Amino acid sequence: MPPRQSGRKGKGAAAAPPQDDRDHIGALPDDALRHVLSFLPAQEAVRTWVLARRWRHLWKASTGLRIACSNGAEAASVKELREFVYHLLLLRGDSPLDTCELEFGDMDEEDVPRVNLWLRHVVMRNVRVLELSSYIWVDGCQAWFQLDDVPLVSQHLTTLKFCGVRFRSSLLDFSSCPALENLEFDYCVFSEAKKISSESLKHMSITDSTFDRGSRIRICTPNLVSPDLCDFWHRTPLLESMPLLVKAFVRLNWACGDECPRAYCNDSNCESCDISDNIGDRIGTNNCCVLLQGLSKAKVLALTSGPRKFILKRDLKWCPTFSKLKTLLLNGYWCTPDDFRPLVCILEHAPVLEKLILQLSSEMPEHEVEIKGSVSPMEGSAAILKHLRIVEIKCEGVNEKILNVLIFLSAFNIRKPTCYTLLHF
Amino acid sequence: MASAGSGDEKAAAAAMITLISSDNEKFEVTEATATLSQTIRHMIEDGCTDGGVPLPNVTSKILARVIEYCKKHATAAAGEEGSSSSFSDAAFLEVDRAFLEELEEFDDAFLEVDRATLFDLILAANYLDIKGLLNLTCQKVADSVKGKTPEQIREMYNIVNDLTPEEEAEIRRETQWAFE
Repeated sequence: MPPRQSGRKGKGAAAAPPQDDRDHIGALPDDALRHVLSFLPAQEAVRTWVLARRWRHLWKASTGLRIACSNGAEAASVKELREFVYHLLLLRGDSPLDTCELEFGDMDEEDVPRVNLWLRHVVMRNVRVLELSSYIWVDGCQAWFQLDDVPLVSQHLTTLKFCGVRFRSSLLDFSSCPALENLEFDYCVFSEAKKISSESLKHMSITDSTFDRGSRIRICTPNLVSPDLCDFWHRTPLLESMPLLVKAFVRLNWACGDECPRAYCNDSNCESCDISDNIGDRIGTNNCCVLLQGLSKAKVLALTSGPRKFILKRDLKWCPTFSKLKTLLLNGYWCTPDDFRPLVCILEHAPVLEKLILQLSSEMPEHEVEIKGSVSPMEGSAAILKHLRIVEIKCEGVNEKILNVLIFLSAFNIRKPTCYTLLHF
Repeated sequence: MASAGSGDEKAAAAAMITLISSDNEKFEVTEATATLSQTIRHMIEDGCTDGGVPLPNVTSKILARVIEYCKKHATAAAGEEGSSSSFSDAAFLEVDRAFLEELEEFDDAFLEVDRATLFDLILAANYLDIKGLLNLTCQKVADSVKGKTPEQIREMYNIVNDLTPEEEAEIRRETQWAFE
């Protein structure tokens, strides 16, 4: 089309950067440009059609969609997005999609089925990585977006991330997503769900989320490598067997509902503290372990809990052998000043433990003083800890509690207390 | 490498792969590093890497950078698999954090290149099918145009607007929904 050359050069050609006047971006093949577009907010990606003729249709097949990703700013309401998203999804036709991030703020009741439909649509476009974040605010509190309770079906999904979403039950059965490996829930609600299950899952993170008040959700993920279960509300989930586990991080904060009802409880084993109706009940056994059994194959394990949460101490009644455990991080929950039995119990069940980290400060990992020591071979060392080489104690300052721990450790033949060194930060 | 015909004695030592750039420079890398490239992974699976892998689209200058990226990320992947040694030095949570930060720093420093190199890296990552590198480099280009007007983008990348006013008007009508 020769006529196009007349007078439409645009300012671009005249104001070429001095260092290099090649059109580098034009040298990229279309699929690379579509990938570049996938990193732009969808609105900006669409508007690149105006750059030049070659760009006219590229946006329709960008490999990713970032819809209303606010990057910290207030998320757009679904009302503002409706027209845009409908046009975008329809005009893309059946272009394959690799990643999709969908984020929105306020929505009307009538928008709920709409967003559900968008989600189903992108799953049908063979999306691999799907992220859905909802920031709905009601009376100053963040509310949750209700996803349709229908299982997702996809051969392609590998990563799913949800934020601010409420789940019922069927959707948490991921058996129809055989490629799913990464699953993240942040600030989600599972109040009616009985089970989260996936055969393929390798990494799972559940943070700041709410489980049921009454019954425990079961987590059935036999191929899980690294679970991360942090700061949840109400009943602690029951972890089923995870033989491939490598690294697990479990933190029970104040919100956990498995709490001793008595303010001052003398039962250090927490056997009488449980007031829930249906703890555990592993089929065919009397083993009512909620967390520890499922975590018993971990190589690296962090188990921290707020005070008065009975679940971990109660689990010790059926304490499994941590046959692969090399590194263990515990907090003050395990060694209250006068009672080291929980700590002893878990150490006795960790025959190949090499490193113990005691975080005796607040629940936060920051610390002011670190006591570090290496365990040298000592005659008569307790056989149960023959592999232990390093003990680290992290604390805000050496107080009576820390001294008690040191005395205890020395009595237990872990280390001569004189060999600890203080490192000031 | 198991084939008897390969006269290279070193091939038996470890799974090493030789990559040959367009200007005929040879780079020997471990299989773990090389297989970050799906293209090379498929070649290895098909058993056609004996005698080296010629990469006629990639210059030695760019290939060296690509290998630098792959080496770092292959080591990172191995560390993440949980080899116990990587946790032996400090609280593992801090190790994880430090580890990710270090990787991020590496990536940031890696992207400190002129535009020509950046685009060559995209071409190489696209050709070799190295997902992480392609994401990293394409993200950098996307960031550079984010929030810019079409006119600014054209200027930045010397894009010649070859649309006729009529075409432009037509598309604008078609995409009115994106401007509301």
